[in-house]
Amino acid sequence: MSGELAFVSCTVNGVAREFHVRAEEMLIDVLRDRLALTGAKLSCDLGACGACTVLMDDKPVSSCSTFAWQAGGSEIRTVEGLAGADGTLDLVQQAFVDNSAFQCGYCTPGMIMLARALLDHDPSPDRDAIRAWMGANICRCTGYEMIIEAVENAAAASQEAGK
Amino acid sequence: MNKVSTDLHVVGQRSARKDAVPKTTGTATYTVDVSFPGMLQAKVLRSPHAHARITSIDASAAREMPGVHAVITRDDLDGLSPTYGYFIKDQPIVAMDKVRYIGDAVAAVAAETELQAVAALERITVEYEVLPPVATVEDAMAETAPELFEEEPMGVVPAYGQGASGARRLGRNNCYRFSYETGDAGAFDGCDHIFEDRFVFSRDQHFHLEPFVTVARMDGDVIEVWSSTQNPFPLRKELARVFQYPENLIRVRVPYLGAGYGAKNNCKTEPIAILLARKSGRPVRFCMTMEECFLTQSQHAAILDVKTGVMADGTFVARYGRILLDSGAYSDASPLVAEKAGYRLPGPYNWQHLDIDCDCILTNTTPAGPYRGFGGTQAAWASESQIDIIARALGRDPFDLRMQNVKNLGEAYVPGESGIDSDLRVGLQVVADRAGYDRRASGEGRGMGVSIGFKDAGGVNKPAQARVRITTTGGVYLECGSIEIGQGIHTAMSQVVAELLNTSADRVVYPELNTDYTPFDQGTNASSAIIVMGQAVQQATLEAKQKVMDFAAMELGCDVDEIELDDWCIRKGNESHPLAPMIMCYYGGTGYEFSGAGYFKPAMDHSAPLETQCVSWEFGWGVAEVEVDRETGLISLVQLVVSGDAGRAINPLVCRGQDEGSAIMGLTGVLFPCMVYDGATLMNGNGLDYRVPLATDIPDGFSSVLQEQGHGPGPFGAKSIGEGCMLPVASAIANAVEDAIGVRIRELPLTPERVLAAIDEAAE
Repeated sequence: MSGELAFVSCTVNGVAREFHVRAEEMLIDVLRDRLALTGAKLSCDLGACGACTVLMDDKPVSSCSTFAWQAGGSEIRTVEGLAGADGTLDLVQQAFVDNSAFQCGYCTPGMIMLARALLDHDPSPDRDAIRAWMGANICRCTGYEMIIEAVENAAAASQEAGK
Repeated sequence: MNKVSTDLHVVGQRSARKDAVPKTTGTATYTVDVSFPGMLQAKVLRSPHAHARITSIDASAAREMPGVHAVITRDDLDGLSPTYGYFIKDQPIVAMDKVRYIGDAVAAVAAETELQAVAALERITVEYEVLPPVATVEDAMAETAPELFEEEPMGVVPAYGQGASGARRLGRNNCYRFSYETGDAGAFDGCDHIFEDRFVFSRDQHFHLEPFVTVARMDGDVIEVWSSTQNPFPLRKELARVFQYPENLIRVRVPYLGAGYGAKNNCKTEPIAILLARKSGRPVRFCMTMEECFLTQSQHAAILDVKTGVMADGTFVARYGRILLDSGAYSDASPLVAEKAGYRLPGPYNWQHLDIDCDCILTNTTPAGPYRGFGGTQAAWASESQIDIIARALGRDPFDLRMQNVKNLGEAYVPGESGIDSDLRVGLQVVADRAGYDRRASGEGRGMGVSIGFKDAGGVNKPAQARVRITTTGGVYLECGSIEIGQGIHTAMSQVVAELLNTSADRVVYPELNTDYTPFDQGTNASSAIIVMGQAVQQATLEAKQKVMDFAAMELGCDVDEIELDDWCIRKGNESHPLAPMIMCYYGGTGYEFSGAGYFKPAMDHSAPLETQCVSWEFGWGVAEVEVDRETGLISLVQLVVSGDAGRAINPLVCRGQDEGSAIMGLTGVLFPCMVYDGATLMNGNGLDYRVPLATDIPDGFSSVLQEQGHGPGPFGAKSIGEGCMLPVASAIANAVEDAIGVRIRELPLTPERVLAAIDEAAE
């Protein structure tokens, strides 16, 4: 069941963390069980639905399909790390709130991290680029249009803030 | 007296949802997030056979495995009433005499880790005598078909009113029949044209991202469960029966739900989790994998034979329908789905005669249960497809034929029923205008189709209670059993309460459901929350408000008519009197709470076919525009325009989300493979192989139009909005395909193979 433990050192939401993990332990288990960061959700457990999406060195990954040891030396960001210390929401979070871009909310942490990665990579994506990028994750509730509009608005807001 | 201002300041606002911050910051708690020290993990051994008799089970080795605290098999059910179901109690906690589908639960283990539980399952030895399976409805109905149940399971047939009836075991593997009949069967004789068509509906899986999950523990004598459930009170009642335990010693708690779409009604993970918790004395978490969810619940596949008689001028006269629902291995909610599929098959049109049977056929496949649309999706597929067939045969525009035959606003649906509470012609015109129906391109690979989705909303004979408490400083508790499953009910109800109390929705909190404290509700389903519970909430709020006003009038020495409530102050002419000091002056410095109770239930009425008149009627108008490639058979959706009538939109953003979300969910059964079976084996039951719509599947021409026609029975004229827009999608697309290439496809999903086959058939 468990062989030798691997030592993993990484930062999670800007805080240095060190773990001894079993070889088969997944990143989502470390985040949820050891750090109580339960925003990322396990759903398909196959890397298909994206409910478990977190950012590893600014790239979206399925934490259900990423071994914990793979996070060694990397910078992990989760939905819990987006808002400011005073509770000020990230522009993407605020846009999801303003556009009502969620319903049951189970996919939402993953969707928000996916969108954050897009805007980090391309601050002014057009609608087609947003649709293509957000097509990586599944939302069964919304029909996606309000999510795409939220990402458009977040992009516009970040352009505005950057001026 | 209480006056409701027509000048609304909270209702109708596009305000942020009450659950916005927890859900966007990752702090919202779902059942999957509930955890206790010492909590065990449950895993289930599932049948590898579609149909088999269990000759022996030996779990002794599993009990000795490391970390294992409890094992259950059929030998551990003593003292229980170990089967459950809606009307027919045929599904066992774990298999008893037989297994009836691949994935049927046979045994369960609770261990300290999931890996230990899985390792222990591997040590359970089960011997099976394999029986021939029936994988399809046709196989199951054959004269020589093996019966899933040799003996009739315990169950009841519900009471029905005028024209409706139910029956059990009318044929092989037939677990239930719903029938509805009105008017004179001779009406067919006078028809100029009779159309007979068979339509086939495939089965989608709900694909709720939060799996079926329960955490159960014993709290002294109390069985306490946290569950991802849509109907905690009926669940409590069913658990009390199964465990032969007092209802008030079972506590069901419901955090946020990661959706359900119907699947999370009635028992799923709860009985196994509770049984393991009682045996082990530890908290037990039973969280299914997505693969297990595919083996637990699905939509009903259906075969619908529809015969419709019309006059030469297009007037609808008579309809006969025989629907076969694939119920899977257990009856589950099939009797109710049959009732709805059968009752909704006529559509919102005028008929002189109706004669409809809907049969539930058991097969050795995943049990089918409630799914958004609840039989209405299947009925609308057949009904609205056939209307286009009729229109084309008569040389009529399908839009015009609908305009000619739809019910008028206020007209009874069928004898004894309530009146239709939307103007159907207005709704159809709205979507036609948005899509540009009048100037559409028809033929040569491009076409447009219209459809009207329809269902009765609010459930049948559904009671709801609510309570409102207001603290000294004007904080409001809304205690109400409608679950926040994603539809935004916390937001909508809070806006209703705030409007009635002339305050802000920020003052309203909506405590998490706990059956020990929360007033009774029959369940968050049947598009009932805003029209059924909404009326109870309104009454509770107005009662609490009345007490506040009476108190304030007494303190101020004036008539209630002279004062108004204004954000927890009393306004009397130009004076403003804060309520908090007034309350503490009278009740003492520790303050007081004002409370109000509300209740709603439709009246019993035996002249109504379902024994109560329908509370409201929910519609989804749809137009689809497609391009069809005659070489590949691929259908490209150019436009999909849907519209629902919210009556009065309590929160237009939330309503829009419901319309669009249900429409795209409806797309799954049309343009995606759905559940693919090879015999009785499900081939694509996991998140990777199963395709649901993605953002990249949605055309730029997808849009929704929110109507507020103002005729609803809910607060401020509100109507249900959660299911309507899924209903027209399939038929609108099939109708558009015929408009584009002149061929009619009667079987879902509309795969390229079916399109090509239909083209070939038409060419012959």
